[in-house]
Amino acid sequence: MSSQGAAKLSVSVPNDLAKAVRKKVGARGLSGFVARAMRHELEREQLGLFLAELDETLGPVPTRTLVLARAAWPRR
Amino acid sequence: MAAALILDAEALNAVAHASERPALAIRARAILQVARDEGALVRVPSPVLAAVCPGGPRDAPVNRVLNGRGLAVVGLGAGTARRAGALLSRAKMGSAHAVDAFVVATALEFGSAVIATGDPDDIARLSSGLRQIRIFAV
Repeated sequence: MSSQGAAKLSVSVPNDLAKAVRKKVGARGLSGFVARAMRHELEREQLGLFLAELDETLGPVPTRTLVLARAAWPRR
Repeated sequence: MAAALILDAEALNAVAHASERPALAIRARAILQVARDEGALVRVPSPVLAAVCPGGPRDAPVNRVLNGRGLAVVGLGAGTARRAGALLSRAKMGSAHAVDAFVVATALEFGSAVIATGDPDDIARLSSGLRQIRIFAV
């Protein structure tokens, strides 16, 4: 857990999602799971904004370079 | 387990100095875009900072990209450090390549990982046979 302490949040999520997550991590693992998911989503948002900022100031990444980068990524 | 993009010193430097050297940052920006599209985590192993942070005001560009831009530094635990040592031994490489080994050992903590690197040959030697790791030269 973060050294900055923990905040208690009350959120509402769809029943099926809550059930699936509890089944995966158990009631005691829920806080950690939610914190990781929140951090991941926040980082993804921040990265998107950063890349958009670079695109705006430097111009977009050439398509051929993006194609090469996509080819390097593992297939799911 | 999540997929990750791991940045080495050259990749991090390329992004941090994108405005001054835009041509050198193109490939790093491309792989970051793909990581973002794939929902991957972007991680910088803490030993990499030794190579890109000389101290003082010269750290500012790196500090800026590590502050709220979706790139996170990941600390090095004893287990990861020992794994790095084993990777060096396996590849018959000396401790001069320790930071590269830390990069590969960090990548092994994820289900699958792409390493963005300016030194693809050494990273390839260290990750030889590790199917969960791919390399992208920046």
